[in-house]
Amino acid sequence: MSNDHNHPHNHAPIIDEEVPGYYEILEISIRELLIERMIISPDDVRKQVELLDSRSPVLGQKLVIRAWTDPAFRERLLANGNAAAEEMGITIYDDTAFTVLEDTPELHNMIVCTLCSCYPRPVLGLPPDWYKSKQYRSRAIKEPRAVLAEFGTIIPENVQVIIHDSTANQRYMVLPLRPEGTEKLTEEELEALVTRDTMIGVTIPRLN
Amino acid sequence: MVKHLPNDIGGTGCSDDKIKIVERELYPWEKRCHALLDVLDYHKVVNTEEKRRGTENIGAEMADKLTYYEKWIVSASNCLLQKGIITPDEIAVKTKEVAARYNIML
Repeated sequence: MSNDHNHPHNHAPIIDEEVPGYYEILEISIRELLIERMIISPDDVRKQVELLDSRSPVLGQKLVIRAWTDPAFRERLLANGNAAAEEMGITIYDDTAFTVLEDTPELHNMIVCTLCSCYPRPVLGLPPDWYKSKQYRSRAIKEPRAVLAEFGTIIPENVQVIIHDSTANQRYMVLPLRPEGTEKLTEEELEALVTRDTMIGVTIPRLN
Repeated sequence: MVKHLPNDIGGTGCSDDKIKIVERELYPWEKRCHALLDVLDYHKVVNTEEKRRGTENIGAEMADKLTYYEKWIVSASNCLLQKGIITPDEIAVKTKEVAARYNIML
């Protein structure tokens, strides 16, 4: 990678700006006040950042690949997402109900949180900005096919599209359809197909 | 007539309002802000519902101007003020002190 930086240097040097804005100053201040008051401990926030950093779509991907390759696990995952995730060593740390939605040749699922930003964080990490945006939240349940098209996803008219609105207590993840022609792929090759967006349901796994 | 809360926007959008599909890493302070609110929830100081209501009560004008985590930290500070856990004076003194570390005048 060391040879990648070979463009002519007509831009200003990139300096890491360390000066915080007002709201960052507010965040630091509140945290320090709460620590001084012993309402939270100095380590609490750092530990929680570590937990957040340990969660990413890799975990959701593990659930999907196992469900694709192990029919008994697939049944357990669809019957009780929380228990199946725990079985794979993935704690649903925020104590929410975790429901996995099965795509079929006749049915495509997609998730949204119209009220705010509820998202299956224990298995996908923190949501992308667009998931929390007014545009996605206000349009997903009204014109899902138009929204899907903006992600380059065209669902045939004879396939039903169902949108699931998440809540503070109920989180969803999509179990996408395994593409045809992937029977001989290794688990590593399958992993490349299962991206975050396929588990939100705005795209579908595709063989290149 | 039942009025919808400002955040209850499901179905109100129009097709011209295209989704801005951009990926970015959160700033470190945004992740800390997220973690702080999680911690306040664990300790039963400010729960998720209170935080959400706090972001709804920011007012339409401010809501448009502030980013997602800016709203969260404003909501957190308002919740803590309302509960009497911290005072406006303490926030004023502390934010000045923090700003001074970075040679910023508030």
